[in-house]
Amino acid sequence: MTTLRTATLRLFERLRDESGDDEGRFVVAPASMEEAAGLLDVAAAEGLTVRFRGGGTHSGIGNPVTADLVITTSRLSSIIDWSPGDLTAVVGAGLTVDELEATLAEHRQTAVLPETAPGATVGGILSAGMSGYRRLRHGPTRDRVLQVTMATGYGSVVTGGSLVVKSSTGYGVPRLAVGSLGSLGMIGVVALRLLSRPLASATVAVADAPAALSEVYRPIAVLETSEGSFCYLAGTEEQLAAQTAGLAADGVPGLAWPEPIDHPIRLSVRVPPAAVPETVSLVRELDPVRWVAEHGVGVVTVGFEELEDSLFGDLRSWAVSRTGSVVVLEGADFIGDGVDPWGKPPSSIEIQRRIKDSFDPSGICNPGILPGGL
Amino acid sequence: MDPAAELIDLLGASLVHTHPVDRLIYAKDSGVASGDPAIVVLPGSTEEVAAAVRIGVAAGMPIVARGAGTGLAGGAVPPPGSLLLVLTRMNEIHEVDEIGRTAWVGPGLVNLDLSEALADRGLEFAPDPASQQSSTIGGNVATNAGGPHCLAEGTTVAHILGVEMVTADGRIVILGGEAPDEPGYDLRGLIVGSEGTLGIVTRVLVRLIQRPPEIATMLIVFDDIHTAAQTVSDVIAAGLVPAALEMMDQPMIESVENFAHVGLPTDAAAVLIAEVVGTAEGTAVEAGEIREIADRNGAREIRTAATDEERALLWKGRKNAFGSIAQSAPDYYLSDTVVPRTRFVEVLDEIYAIAERDGLRLMNVFHAGDGNFHPLVSFDASEPGMTERVIGASHDMVLAAVAAGGTLSGEHGIGLEKRDLMHLVFTPQDLDAQARIRDAFDPEASLNPGKVLPDGARLSERPGR
Repeated sequence: MTTLRTATLRLFERLRDESGDDEGRFVVAPASMEEAAGLLDVAAAEGLTVRFRGGGTHSGIGNPVTADLVITTSRLSSIIDWSPGDLTAVVGAGLTVDELEATLAEHRQTAVLPETAPGATVGGILSAGMSGYRRLRHGPTRDRVLQVTMATGYGSVVTGGSLVVKSSTGYGVPRLAVGSLGSLGMIGVVALRLLSRPLASATVAVADAPAALSEVYRPIAVLETSEGSFCYLAGTEEQLAAQTAGLAADGVPGLAWPEPIDHPIRLSVRVPPAAVPETVSLVRELDPVRWVAEHGVGVVTVGFEELEDSLFGDLRSWAVSRTGSVVVLEGADFIGDGVDPWGKPPSSIEIQRRIKDSFDPSGICNPGILPGGL
Repeated sequence: MDPAAELIDLLGASLVHTHPVDRLIYAKDSGVASGDPAIVVLPGSTEEVAAAVRIGVAAGMPIVARGAGTGLAGGAVPPPGSLLLVLTRMNEIHEVDEIGRTAWVGPGLVNLDLSEALADRGLEFAPDPASQQSSTIGGNVATNAGGPHCLAEGTTVAHILGVEMVTADGRIVILGGEAPDEPGYDLRGLIVGSEGTLGIVTRVLVRLIQRPPEIATMLIVFDDIHTAAQTVSDVIAAGLVPAALEMMDQPMIESVENFAHVGLPTDAAAVLIAEVVGTAEGTAVEAGEIREIADRNGAREIRTAATDEERALLWKGRKNAFGSIAQSAPDYYLSDTVVPRTRFVEVLDEIYAIAERDGLRLMNVFHAGDGNFHPLVSFDASEPGMTERVIGASHDMVLAAVAAGGTLSGEHGIGLEKRDLMHLVFTPQDLDAQARIRDAFDPEASLNPGKVLPDGARLSERPGR
């Protein structure tokens, strides 16, 4: 920090977030995208590395990052524009998912963001590329991101996408931003496509999750968990009645999602949907505390108190043999002597590296967090 | 060795064309612009595409990929001296996973052929552009194609899980796949809609959806186009998500009816085609709600297709909209813009005013539920100055859409047609960021140069500023 010039220091001081940081780093909270870009411009010139922070709920993902500076989205947290008739909303990245959903519920709308991520921000969810359980029916989060404004690693404010529900206008900057884990810059403002909340919904306990997936017409989710298997339905009362008629049990009204998995070690096993049943068998053998398998999607989230690295290695090899991956969401350091949270980088690593270098030429944004140390 | 000889060695003389007549056949897509490829080749495999790309790059030739050429924005127009790869031979369905509901297919596979091949397994590919009888999956990927049923299911990008691609330096990479959320950047998502400028897609992993047990298709007739448009807005605002919500205005209805004879009321100001799908119970409720909203807006008549044949007839009318124009004028210019759905009526009025101002014959067919306009001007290009007038008016229609918070293209892409309008919706910094993406994939600018981004989009060659 001693390398900072006086004027820069003044800018940083003005934006300083007094709430501080556990690791004693300098925390700044820009109130506009121009300020965020200004900070990054200075950081790049001074060679200061930067972490971005939203709600901090997904900070365990990726390779460990040491950073001189933390930029938070806490002052970019308002609903900027919500047009219920268009089913679109523009929000600051620092807005929490809970707050957004509570507001949207006033007009019976939803952004279909992850259901169980207390404290998570919209920007954090996008940055980590996380989707909720309703993905089976409504697709991943990234398919509903219409527009993103980010402050890039080279200190520019860039908006990509369009504030309409359908566009084939230029390159998909929002698609690049989603899942980029702050490696290209800071996501500050996002426009989301919204859906109407269903008039009725139900959670039905089922004996055989794969069977429910093939028998029910387009359920919202089919989850197999350490606590049982459930089919989630939504629509009108009449629709639900017809859908549950095909299932053995009656449902309970509402969507009762599993409790969040928040154990010291958290894995996301990603396999082709057809390989989920086999993945479930393998995961059970590892004796996890809790797990949730998303049938038809291909994601199995698993929580452990502890896990041996050899068992972890076996699981990863198996997932890779099925063209999938095992991503450590939390606690990569606690698996044996520590494991690579990503595994082998994808075949497109060279293109990925050129993208990283182009958006973050000084290498200051969450350096090394991505697969292959990007 | 000259590239043509090398390509003949690679593919055989029958699949390499350099004769002026052959080159002319492939000089344009379905838009207005045309180019002139030096060599046209028809590779049959990924390895052949990769080898052809390496030969073209070594010879310093621009490289353009093309499917059926149904694009309207000039995205597949080959620049002079280019190597054109026609991918229509690569039309296999490689493998289908019925449990995972995915299929790997060749880029040259015709869109409709895919859904027809899957029908007996109860699966379908959701994107259904009006061109689906001839357009290819590779072309759909290039333009992020839409279609009526993208209202509920999203455009092509939501239905492409992975691609195998030949890079600008002739290497083969796979982006995405059957397993969700591949670690690293979502390059798959960037490829869809990139109009052949980031790589040449040689295999596509498509997501398939369950065919609905029940389909209800309605034709709703209006005497006033505003109440038709209001009905669309009200349906969307009510939170209903019909599978499709399409609109045609009177001149378009008349043109379609004269051509396809599907029983459309030619005196109506506008018709809506509304389709709801799902369980029998669900569709009954949704169709009832749409009927109620239409009634409230003064619909003159609501017909529900009673049989599959009647339903097919309604869609035949809609999907032949563009083909029907040939009876009334030798040429047409079809534009494609999107506006926020609440601004639909207002922009519609402006579009009519522009056509009237310029004395043009305008007809409209819209993906109304998405706010996606397709104003179509029919004209005779042999009339002096006419083409310029039509393009000028279409340009003003785009401006009207942009002024209402809309964007340049909903599903046709930018290509050559709208490349120089990109500054209307993006700042120089926005365009620079897009150019950075392009440069990361294709540093030498070999792939489909001159498309999508205007010249000088990259603000500085020096990285960093």
